[in-house]
Amino acid sequence: MARAWEVNGLSPHAGFRTAAGRIVLTRWREMISYRDGTVVGDDIEELHAMRVSSRRLRAAMDAFVDVFPARSFRRYLREVKRITDTLGDARDLDVAIEHLTILIPDLEPDDRPGIEGLIDRYEEQRRTEDVRIQALFTRLEDERFGESFESWVTKHTGVKVSRLRPAPPGDN
Amino acid sequence: MAKPRPVTGINPTRRMRPNARRILATRIDEVYEYDGLVADPAKITELHNMRIAFKRLRYLLEIFGIAFDEDLDPYLGQVKAMQDLLGDIHDCDVQVPMLEAHLAWLEQQEALSVERMLSSTRRARQPADESVALERFRSRLDAARRTDERPGIHTLIAVRRAQRIALYTQFTNEWRRLKHDHFRQRLETTLGLH
Repeated sequence: MARAWEVNGLSPHAGFRTAAGRIVLTRWREMISYRDGTVVGDDIEELHAMRVSSRRLRAAMDAFVDVFPARSFRRYLREVKRITDTLGDARDLDVAIEHLTILIPDLEPDDRPGIEGLIDRYEEQRRTEDVRIQALFTRLEDERFGESFESWVTKHTGVKVSRLRPAPPGDN
Repeated sequence: MAKPRPVTGINPTRRMRPNARRILATRIDEVYEYDGLVADPAKITELHNMRIAFKRLRYLLEIFGIAFDEDLDPYLGQVKAMQDLLGDIHDCDVQVPMLEAHLAWLEQQEALSVERMLSSTRRARQPADESVALERFRSRLDAARRTDERPGIHTLIAVRRAQRIALYTQFTNEWRRLKHDHFRQRLETTLGLH
C-alpha cells in the first residue's frame, strides 16, 4: 500500500484548525497525485493508491468536521465520497480478477470453465468502470473542483497549499 | 453503513489534543457497542458495522497520533488487524451472494441462447432421417447450454463458506484476547481519558 505523505509543519501542540488545514490539504494533494496513473490504467496499483488516499482524505475531513461550515462541508465530502466509491467499484473488480486468476492453475479441470467465465464477465464490467472513472475526473476538472476545494480549506483554516508544499515521502 | 455518532464539545480554536481526546473517546465507544452483538456469526450487518467502527478508529489514531506523548503504533497495529480480519469476513459475506447471482445469470444466459437455438431450428430444414435430426438437435442444445461453467462456481462458493467459518473463529478468538488484555482500558489510559 502507498505510504501516507508526511504532513509538513505539523507539531504536537498545533491548533485544531491549523492541523485540519495541513492534514486535509496534504491528503488532497496525495490523492490527486495518483490521478494520471489511474486514468492511464496501465498499473492497477495506481488506482489502489488513489483509493486509499481518498479514504485517508475522507477520514481527515470527518475528524475535522467542526472546523468547517456544515453545508459546504457536506457538499465537498459528498464529492470526495463519490471519488472513493467510483474507484472502489473498479478496485473490487481488479482484486476479484487477480484472485481468480491466481486460482486457475490449481483448479480441477472441471472447475476451470466456470472461473474463466467469471473472469471474462468481471473484465467486461471493469471496462465499464474505466468509462465511469474518466467521466468523473473530466467533470471534476470542468468544474475546477480542485481549486475550489483548496480555496475552501484555506478560507476556513488559514493554511495555504503554496506554503504547505505537500510532497511524496522522500521529496521533502 | 452506520453513521458516526456526532461528537459534542469540540472547540476548533483549542489545540489538537483535547479535541482529539473527545473524538477518540466517542469512536472507541462505537467499536465496543458491537460487543455481544457479534457473538452471533449470522449478524452480517453488525460485523460489517464493527469493521467500519474499527476503520474510523484506525484512521483517527493515525491522524491524531502526533498530538500524544506516547506511541500509539502498537494500538494502531491491533486495530488494523481487527479491521483486516473483519474485512476478510465481509469479503466472504459479499462474494457468496455475488457468486449465487452469477449462477442465476448463467441460467438466464442459457435460457436466452436455448430460445435462440430453438427458433433457428424451427426455421431450418430438418434432415429426413429422424436420428440424424435428433443428434443435430442435441449437439446444438449442448452448445447453447453453459453447464460446464457451474461446477467451478459451486466450488468457489463452498471454499468461501469454509473460509468464512475459519475467519469468524479467528475473529472471536482475537476479540476475546483484546478484552482479556484490557485493550480498551490501556488505550484510554494512554490517551489520557481516565
